[in-house]
Amino acid sequence: MARSEAHEPRAVQITQEDVRRLCEFLYRRTGLSFADSKRYFIDRRLAERITVTQSASFQAYFAILRSDAEHEIEHLVNAFTVNETYFYREEHQLRCMTSSLLDNVVRGKKAGQPIRIWSIPCSTGEEPYSIAIWLMENWSQVDSYNIEIVGSDIDTRALKAAADGVYGDRALMRLSRQVIDRYFQAVAADKYRIDPGLRNSIQFTRANLVDAQDLARYRDFDIVFCRNVLIYFDDASRRMAAENLYDCLRPGGYICLGHSETMSRISPLFHVCRFSDAIVYQRPETDHDGN
Amino acid sequence: MPLVKRDPTAAPPPSQASQGDLASHIAALSAQDAGTRWSAARALGGRADAVPALAAALGAEQVARVREAIMTALMRIGDAASVVALLPYLRSQDAGLRAAAIEALQAMPEAILPFMTSLLGDGDSDVRILATELARNMPAAEATHLLCGLLEHEQHPNVCAAAVEVLAEVGTREAIPALEACAGRFVGTPFLPFAVSIAVARISDTES
Amino acid sequence: MMEIEMVSTPRVRILVVDDSSLVRLYYRDALEKAGFEVEHAINGIEAMEKVLAQAFDLLIVDVNMPRMDGFSFLRALRRSAREVATIPALIITTEAGEQDIEDARAAGANFYLVKPVSEADLLRHAVVLTGAST
Repeated sequence: MARSEAHEPRAVQITQEDVRRLCEFLYRRTGLSFADSKRYFIDRRLAERITVTQSASFQAYFAILRSDAEHEIEHLVNAFTVNETYFYREEHQLRCMTSSLLDNVVRGKKAGQPIRIWSIPCSTGEEPYSIAIWLMENWSQVDSYNIEIVGSDIDTRALKAAADGVYGDRALMRLSRQVIDRYFQAVAADKYRIDPGLRNSIQFTRANLVDAQDLARYRDFDIVFCRNVLIYFDDASRRMAAENLYDCLRPGGYICLGHSETMSRISPLFHVCRFSDAIVYQRPETDHDGN
Repeated sequence: MPLVKRDPTAAPPPSQASQGDLASHIAALSAQDAGTRWSAARALGGRADAVPALAAALGAEQVARVREAIMTALMRIGDAASVVALLPYLRSQDAGLRAAAIEALQAMPEAILPFMTSLLGDGDSDVRILATELARNMPAAEATHLLCGLLEHEQHPNVCAAAVEVLAEVGTREAIPALEACAGRFVGTPFLPFAVSIAVARISDTES
Repeated sequence: MMEIEMVSTPRVRILVVDDSSLVRLYYRDALEKAGFEVEHAINGIEAMEKVLAQAFDLLIVDVNMPRMDGFSFLRALRRSAREVATIPALIITTEAGEQDIEDARAAGANFYLVKPVSEADLLRHAVVLTGAST
């Protein structure tokens, strides 16, 4: 069947300079940068967003982007990144936790003091369960401490799914057969459920990162995983979230952001820490610790 | 299993935080302990009647994170009074304080708009430089109009450079004459002719 | 046929820290033409991340940047681990008053330049501060 020409939108022209403007804006706003070899990839995604937003020109689209109308920055960045969630995603941060962070965390612990780890946003639970499984599989001292893992999200449907703990094959693709057998039960073709013991060991709560009242009771966390959400907030919300996270952390506690995120676009409150597996951020031990 | 399930929301709420009235939070802004001042600043975010106290605290505050919290509180109020409270810090000798003030003001493009012409005409070139940044978050037509107004009369190369930088992102075609005139005034100097050529290329080579 | 072994000398690496995209472009063009390898950062926090992750022979740092200005960055750098604490740093200021020069020295800058910086001045200082041969 022939396509009706009358309904075909006129393709919006995007020039090299348009792409440069866009890349500079994205770099400034989010820290994301693209090698010249990736420019074609940008052109395609940009063209898609221009079409979806029904922009008549790049200028019109850029105005939408600059004002972040309808969360356009989030849509554009999502178009560039793979957002699938699965177990052991960004494994290098989990490795950093057991090879570097926890040594520092336990150094300050008195007898009986728990280790507190927070996954926010936890979405459908892959992250907090991954943290738990990784610790049990990889941390030699795991039995010497009480470990409290909390998974929080603003989306109650995602939280319910997290509590249910049912996942498909794809989510488990990074896990070995042994790990799957140890922590999951097959409940249907392509459906695995986290064992009840593990499911009942993680606390899921609803919480809003930007709401200080919501978070007032979350205190003394040693490690927070706050991945792939701050990059989308506007300036004021980022500052609020950063200040809230600061309050939720113990002095010396760590924050891990998403792999393409950087505190340089979010807040000056945290120290940059380099470990062999990852760059993470730390709440200073004292107010005069630096600066 | 070493994992222990504990519900943070089951704990009693911390005694400080956002309980307490305006007066007690304002008093806490000058507490001895930085943590107390931090919490006080955070509790006052969005409270327009706290602006004078927050502004005064900002001037006295030595601890960086408390300064940040005060800035955030003023940003969340975001009215003309907050702008007026933040403006003097554009003249601070402390680069960090200037940067923080600009960041807070940038988040209030509507509130800062009435002050833009005067800031862009300020006697202090550093203030004019910082003011060009404030145009970045404004709609393209507005920002272009303000920055072209500056470029027409500006003698200081660093101020022009700052305006050109922002126009490279937000400028419309209307900016091209002022940009080219600026390059003409500074021909043979380092950087500005280069900067103008890039800005003009960005602006011209786009479909209207 | 005689085989000529190409010895590749690792290029001298410079980190340009400035929140102006046009300034970064200007310095990058000049420095790359002269054979330097150039990376960039938009403020002191990003600069710290890059300095901790990659080796640099010279830092060119603007004073006025959002979230972490040039002086704060240099102070934090000089307090860091030895490999990064001693990287030479050229600070770019807007004024050349006594206080600014003193501030630059106190923050740990090796040298300063006043904006706007010419290509020639930039390259001359880059060469001297990295010990690169022209």
